[in-house]
Amino acid sequence: MSMNAATNDPEIRSTLFNRMLDRYSPLVVILVALFAVVFVYGMVTAPNFLTVFNFKTIIRDAALVGIMGIGLTFVTLSGNFFLLSMKETAALSIIAFAIAMSNGYGFELAFLFTMCVAVIAGMLQGALIGLGGNPIVVTLGAAGLFFGIASWWSDNLVVSFRRPHGAEWLGSGSFLGLPNITIAFILIAITAEIVLRYTSFGRQVYLIGANRAAGRATGHENFSMAIKTCTIASVCSAFVAIAFSAQVSSAHVNYFSSEFGSSGDMTILVIATVMVAGNSIMGGYGSTLRTSLGAIFISTVDNMMVLHGFNSGPRVLAVGLMIVFSIIVFALVRRGSRVQE
Amino acid sequence: MQPLLKLSSVKRSFGAIHALKGVDFEIMPGEVMGLVGENGAGKSTLVKIISGFDNGYSGEYRFNGESVNFSSPAKAELAGIAIAQQELSLIPTMSVAENIFLAGHNVPTIADKRRLVKMARPFLDEVGLDTINPAIGVDRLSVGEQHLVEVARLIAHDPQVLILDEPTAALGESDSIRILDMVSRLSKKGKSIIYVSHRLDEIFKITDRITVLRDGESQEPRTADTLDVNSLVELMLGRELDIMFPERRPKTDAEPLMRVEQLWPDGLLEPVDFEIYPGEILGLAGQLGSGSGEILAAIGGAQLTRSGKLSYSGRSFLPSTPKQAIRAGIAYCSEDRKLDGLFLGRPIKENLSSPSLGAISRLGWMSSAAEWKLATSIAEKFTIDASRLSAEAGVLSGGNQQKVALGKWLSIEPKIILVNEPTRGVDVGARAEIYQKLRDLADSGAAIVVASTDIQEITNLPDRIITFYRGLKIGELALQELSAATILKQITDPFNETNL
Repeated sequence: MSMNAATNDPEIRSTLFNRMLDRYSPLVVILVALFAVVFVYGMVTAPNFLTVFNFKTIIRDAALVGIMGIGLTFVTLSGNFFLLSMKETAALSIIAFAIAMSNGYGFELAFLFTMCVAVIAGMLQGALIGLGGNPIVVTLGAAGLFFGIASWWSDNLVVSFRRPHGAEWLGSGSFLGLPNITIAFILIAITAEIVLRYTSFGRQVYLIGANRAAGRATGHENFSMAIKTCTIASVCSAFVAIAFSAQVSSAHVNYFSSEFGSSGDMTILVIATVMVAGNSIMGGYGSTLRTSLGAIFISTVDNMMVLHGFNSGPRVLAVGLMIVFSIIVFALVRRGSRVQE
Repeated sequence: MQPLLKLSSVKRSFGAIHALKGVDFEIMPGEVMGLVGENGAGKSTLVKIISGFDNGYSGEYRFNGESVNFSSPAKAELAGIAIAQQELSLIPTMSVAENIFLAGHNVPTIADKRRLVKMARPFLDEVGLDTINPAIGVDRLSVGEQHLVEVARLIAHDPQVLILDEPTAALGESDSIRILDMVSRLSKKGKSIIYVSHRLDEIFKITDRITVLRDGESQEPRTADTLDVNSLVELMLGRELDIMFPERRPKTDAEPLMRVEQLWPDGLLEPVDFEIYPGEILGLAGQLGSGSGEILAAIGGAQLTRSGKLSYSGRSFLPSTPKQAIRAGIAYCSEDRKLDGLFLGRPIKENLSSPSLGAISRLGWMSSAAEWKLATSIAEKFTIDASRLSAEAGVLSGGNQQKVALGKWLSIEPKIILVNEPTRGVDVGARAEIYQKLRDLADSGAAIVVASTDIQEITNLPDRIITFYRGLKIGELALQELSAATILKQITDPFNETNL
């Protein structure tokens, strides 16, 4: 149907609205329904589920993974796939931070130092990807590099620093009854969404992600984009590492591999967070808001399983199932919304 | 005689969009039926229904006298309806013979390469590839030859109906001729062929009858010799098309806007020099492989060159990325809008503003109002429906996509606009609009450089032409020297190698 004909047809106008409904409604319905099922099930079966304390726990648990997920979302949306080095970047950062702290440099300097390390790590990966390196290969290599440096640097030992220290407010402080890390999560989520929606950088992320060749043709090079987005992801990893270290007053390279949270591997969990809310794995479509909600959703399911006494095996399985399920649902929804003229 | 294939009052809607509002279509055994219409008239939808890609329609579909409803293309193919689509489905790293028997019908379970080669021979002969060795890789063939291999692959299944969906859209003159020869050869052997094309000259050359679709409705099929180009266009548009090509201007004595000096991109045998004047439409004429498109890409910063400089607005430089070219006010549109001309999954509005994010933002913050204003003004100039600016560019038809791909460059107010194949896969209506728009831009002082393999377009649109043949610049033709015969001679046989 030609465009000119379309203008004169009142039916077409309503179609725009219908199409939006078509696109979003099944997605929203399914997610809300799933959330409701989990919620009601949790409420009925676990008496502790529906308490303010437990909700704070859920969001708090979602915070660390969520912040890293938001950082990674920039990379994914820009069409540069995933960084498989998220947890190793965090490992390198946590060691850098703890060593600086244990040497008595104070929170501010240690924070700055760690961020510098993270920026270098991010830019290095971004430059290699921007030059045409495959993101998977580059970041697998980088992962080995960062992990190696971190365990060499720390002699594979726990690096601890004595309380009281200047980072305690970030690790265990709270404001208006909310843990500071939760507040940081909320602030970062809002900032990221604003950046994506309202800045020209955010627009470039979407354009390059949607079609890299067309992005280049219209003056948006992926080289600088890859560097920028990888640096954002890396800095988010470092922030999470610092917050975690501040909480336990120590660091070890394996904190994000085995001891962290429920689902074992941090990188997989972060990727799950990005995927579960339907961000396009090819880039160009999605938002950090989705990632934030994805983190809370995973955290809710996980929390409920903890309350029911499941150990880590079934909980990892649940995360896996959520990813598979969401990929299928979103693929179907996307395909259904494609209307050809 | 009974029609081999007959569709009666077929309707198909997608949501509230009625793609087909009642289409009758038939084809006789051994007939070549042309299927024409503007972009979005419903040709693709109809072809998808016939070939089994889409069975969500209402209405009757009879094949060989029986009522059918194919739930997949494989089932349609088994019944004897094969389709060669615009996008090739060959595997480039495999040999011609292997590609022909890819689907595995009629092939013994264990077949060695030599046997496949022998089996492939007759099908290649049938499509006119008798000089091609079936053992060589498909990637060593020209695009036109690849299209012929694709058809050979379909013929191997011995279909009764063959659908060719714009087989010549991406081909140069000589490859197109091979396709047309093949069509007439196959129809003589009794195959029914549905030929979909925007190239009206081809339609008249090879079809027996023509079915016109307009706004999702079919017109009574006409025999080709009762129509001429004008009456066919009128049927397609539902109105008379006053002018296809806007009036041209002879060269003025203005100073050149840009001097291209010793530019030598890949695809050219030697460096070229030429001048671009403000207010003119310059045409680079040549067949596929002539190197004319590469010149545009090189000026636009999209392709690296061995040497060369552009003298332009008081400086001498050569952009090495499109970004640098854009900054200098040079806009370049490649021949493949889906590859690098459009962000199909993003809204039309974002496509239109994509080259000039800087102009609609301050300190990195985009102004939504400025973007709307920009997008609306471009939409108005290029007759893009302003109420659909928030829709994804991917839902548009080819002609409208091309308008968006071209129109987005207005946002940088370019001084030089380089367009490779401005109207590939674009219907007559949108085509005329694009020509007029290019002329308007030239009149406003910009310089337009168009590279095209479409002989009708390159003869009638530009004010001046430079011809290319196999990587060599052949000559320059001023307005009064422009004729299809001269141009054809220069781009196909400038050195009198063939005696015609």
